[in-house]
Amino acid sequence: MKKLILLFIILTTASQLTMAQRYLTKNGHIKFYSDGPLEKIEAHNNQVNAALDTKTGGFVFKVLMKSFVFEKALMQEHFNENYVESDKFPNATFAGKVTNLQDINFDKPGSYEATVVGKLTIHGVTKDISTQGSFDVKEDHVQGKSVFMIKLADYDISIPGAVTGKIAEEIEITVDTKLESLK
Amino acid sequence: MKKFKLWLLILLAAGLLGGTYVWFFVYNKPHRNIETASPDYILSAESFYTHYSNKSTPEGENYDGAVLQISGIPTSIETVDSLRIVVFAFTEGVFGDEGIRCTLLPSHHQYLKSIVPGRPVTLKGLCSGYNGTDVILEQCSIINE
Repeated sequence: MKKLILLFIILTTASQLTMAQRYLTKNGHIKFYSDGPLEKIEAHNNQVNAALDTKTGGFVFKVLMKSFVFEKALMQEHFNENYVESDKFPNATFAGKVTNLQDINFDKPGSYEATVVGKLTIHGVTKDISTQGSFDVKEDHVQGKSVFMIKLADYDISIPGAVTGKIAEEIEITVDTKLESLK
Repeated sequence: MKKFKLWLLILLAAGLLGGTYVWFFVYNKPHRNIETASPDYILSAESFYTHYSNKSTPEGENYDGAVLQISGIPTSIETVDSLRIVVFAFTEGVFGDEGIRCTLLPSHHQYLKSIVPGRPVTLKGLCSGYNGTDVILEQCSIINE
């Protein structure tokens, strides 16, 4: 049921996007960083679909979990097989809105602070999140950036006792997308 | 006493060897080399995409995480920062062209000039799955360079 609601939100947002000024990328970047007591782990994903509607403030992104690349192959295996179960839950999605749209002029180059609220779905669990970020408006694209923390337990991701010291309970997520206008 | 020491030494050596093996071949085992790996599946780009978009993957076959060799006619080549992406577009959606997006290995960027949109090409890469708009192949190498 949750998936259906989320799909509805994404589809309605996407259909609204076709009516207005759209900025898109299929190669956005998401990094996650775990600063555990015994080990620091980071992974990168350069295959992020993201879309921004500058008229309504709608912002969505979708990411394939199997596209996260870790330094160590074993960590990548554990991430996909044991933690996020990417065969069962292949994608993570965010669907939300920029709430301070009135403070951002997408027609004028510059750097603007943004507040984004929405629903983040990871491991089949959807949670409300609110985060600060920025939009760097350039002549030919918009660079959207945000850094926020998520708790693994909130998304039903359990860490086995044997590796507890290696993975932090809270993970830092960095979203960096170079959004280009859809002609 | 000598026997005890001998056993202790054997145990220590076995522990050291075991630890070395785990450190190098389990904990720090290298990533799979997709460029040299034999493809798990060989098929046309179009049928590969159709299987995903129609959720009609043949029974017993699972492309997620598999090495695929695909042949088809690329529609464009994109440059996104340091990435070079060969695109096989089959349809149009909210996110623009939809199809297969193959990110080339950096070592194959030098062969990119051999790929011309509209001319057949064969690529091999690791399938990350379908994100609702595109099928993603990563660490791709050009087979008929």
